[in-house]
Amino acid sequence: MVKKKRLRLIADMARKIRAYRELKNRPRPCERFALDYDTMTRPFTGKRLPPLAWEDVRRETRLFSLLAALRVFGVGRLFTRKSWLEEHAEPCYWRVTRVKIDYTAENMDHGTAWGILTFRGKAEGAEREIDKAMYHDWRLVPRHEEGRFARFEPQAEQPVRCVPYPPLLRAMLLAQGAEGEPALPLARHVLLSKDYFRKQELERQGRKQAGTPV
Amino acid sequence: MPRRCLLSAAYTDARIWEQRRPDPQNLAELASQMDRCYDRKFPVSSLSVARFVDNITSREEIDQAEYYLYKFRHSPNCWYLRDWTVHGWVRQCLKYGGKDKAVHTLKNKVQYGIFPDDFTLNLLIDTFLKEKNYKEACSVVEEAMLQEAFDRPTTQILSLYALSKYLAAKPELSWQEQRSVGASLYLAGLGRQDPVGLSAQSMGCAMLGKIEMSRGIHAVFRQMPLMWTHGYLGRSLAAMEKVSAGAGDVKLSKDVDLSSSTSSDTHEEGQGSESDTVGSTLTEEDEQERSKLPEYAKRFKELSSRLQTEGKVDPAGLEALASGLAEGQLKEAEGPDVAQYEQRVRDWEDERMQLIQREKESREKAEEERQARSLAKAVV
Repeated sequence: MVKKKRLRLIADMARKIRAYRELKNRPRPCERFALDYDTMTRPFTGKRLPPLAWEDVRRETRLFSLLAALRVFGVGRLFTRKSWLEEHAEPCYWRVTRVKIDYTAENMDHGTAWGILTFRGKAEGAEREIDKAMYHDWRLVPRHEEGRFARFEPQAEQPVRCVPYPPLLRAMLLAQGAEGEPALPLARHVLLSKDYFRKQELERQGRKQAGTPV
Repeated sequence: MPRRCLLSAAYTDARIWEQRRPDPQNLAELASQMDRCYDRKFPVSSLSVARFVDNITSREEIDQAEYYLYKFRHSPNCWYLRDWTVHGWVRQCLKYGGKDKAVHTLKNKVQYGIFPDDFTLNLLIDTFLKEKNYKEACSVVEEAMLQEAFDRPTTQILSLYALSKYLAAKPELSWQEQRSVGASLYLAGLGRQDPVGLSAQSMGCAMLGKIEMSRGIHAVFRQMPLMWTHGYLGRSLAAMEKVSAGAGDVKLSKDVDLSSSTSSDTHEEGQGSESDTVGSTLTEEDEQERSKLPEYAKRFKELSSRLQTEGKVDPAGLEALASGLAEGQLKEAEGPDVAQYEQRVRDWEDERMQLIQREKESREKAEEERQARSLAKAVV
C-alpha cells in the first residue's frame, strides 16, 4: 500500500552527531553574558543594553561577582536586588543553597545558582533556580545585619471594603430579588494571571510524567 | 618585660599539624599526572592537590603549588578544594619563608580559591605582628573583614591590636584604604561590648561616615560587607551614646574624634577629587545626609562634653587599650580555640584517609575491569 520508507542510516547517524556536537559546544554562561562595558553591548548577540540600565550596569554588581569572593561560593547567605529594595518595603531576598560555577570564566564570574526566595516577607518552600542572576542589580546582606533585614511581622489581612452599587444597578438587583442591601466588594479577581499559567504548566508536566493510566 | 600580647607558643605550635600521617609522594610525578589530566580534560581530584601541597619541601615548590592551585580553581572541581589544603598551604608558606606568596594568594582569593578559616587567619596575622610588619597585618585583617570572619574573640583581639598599632603610626591613607580600615575597625569591634570594642565601632563608623559625606553611600558599601542604609555618622554617635548610657566603668578612648569627619573640610576635599571619578553623581538621599552634617557636629560636641563630665573618657589611646586587652584576655580566649583545632585536625585526617581509601578502591576496580576486558579480547 504505502511505499516502504528508505533506511537512511548515514543521515540518521549524521543527525545524531550534529545533535551531540551542538550539546557539547553550546555557549557557556560566561560567553553568553559577557558584556563590553564601554559600548554596553553583549559580544555574543551583538545587542545593546537598554539605556535606562546603563547607569546601574556601571555602578552595581552581578550576583556571581559577589558569590566568587565568598567562602563556599556564598551558600547560605542572603542576597537582595536593588530594584526590590526600591519597590517593596517588605524584605525580599534569596537564600542561596546550590551553586554551579562556570569554571571557564576568568574571574569565576558566571554560572547558575539555586536558592529559596522570600518575596515580600513570604518564604517559598522549595529551592528554585535564581533567575536574573546576570542583572547588575545584586547586593549582599552583611551577616551582622541579616537578622534585622529579614525581620518581618505580617500585618493582619484587612477585610475587603464594600461599597454601595450605583442607583440603577441597585434597583435592578433588588428587583431581581437580592436580600438586604447589595454591596460591591472592592477586590479584583484576576483569572488569567502569572500564577494561573504557572500552575497550568506544572499540572501539565505532572500529567505527562504520570503517563496514561493503564 | 616579656611580650605576652601575641599568640602563645601553644597556639602557633606546628606539632599537631606535623603529627599527621605522612603521605610521601614524588612531586614531579604528581605534577606530570595533573598536567596530563588537564590536557585530556579529565577532572583532577582534590586529593592530588592536597598531596602536592602537603609534600612541599622548598621555596620553588611553593611557586609550583601556587600554579596548580590556580589551575584547580579554574577546573570543574573548584568547589571541592578542601579546608585542610588551604590550611596546609598557609602553614607551608610560613615554614619555607613564602609569607608574601601567602598574602598574594589571599588577596587574589577569587583566582586561587584560598579562603582560610579563622584559625589560619589568626596564625597569619600573628606572624606579621611578631615581625612588627603592621601594614601586612592590616591587609590580612582587611581580608578577614571581607570574609566577615570576626566570630572568634582571638581574631577580634588580634585584629584590633594590629589596626591600632597601624593607626598609631599615623600613615597617609587613600580613601579606599580608609574605607577598608574603617570597615575592619567597625566589624571587629561589633562583637565586643568592652571599651575597646565600642571605641573601635565608633572610630570605624566615623571613618566610613567621612567617606559617605564626601563620596556618597554607594562608594562606601560597594564590594564590602556593609549595609547600604545611610547614616554611618549616626551609628558612630549611637555607639558613643551606648557608652554614656551604660553602667559601670566602660570608658571611651580619647582617640574617638568625629571633629575631623564632621568639619566642612571633608566637603571641599570630596568635591575636589570628585572630578576624577567618572559620573559619581550623588543622589538626593546623599544630599539629605550632607545637610545633616552640622547636626551631627553638634551632637558629637554635646556627647563628648557629657562623657567628659561623667568621667567616661579614657586618657589612654586606642593602642594602649588594645594592647592591654590583648595581654589580659588573649590567653583565656586561646584555650577553646586550640581544643577545637585539635578536633578539626582529627576530622580532616579521617576525611583524608577516607579519600585515599576510595581512590585506592576505584583504582583497583579499574585495574580489574581492564584485566577482564583484555582476557575477553584474548579469548575472542
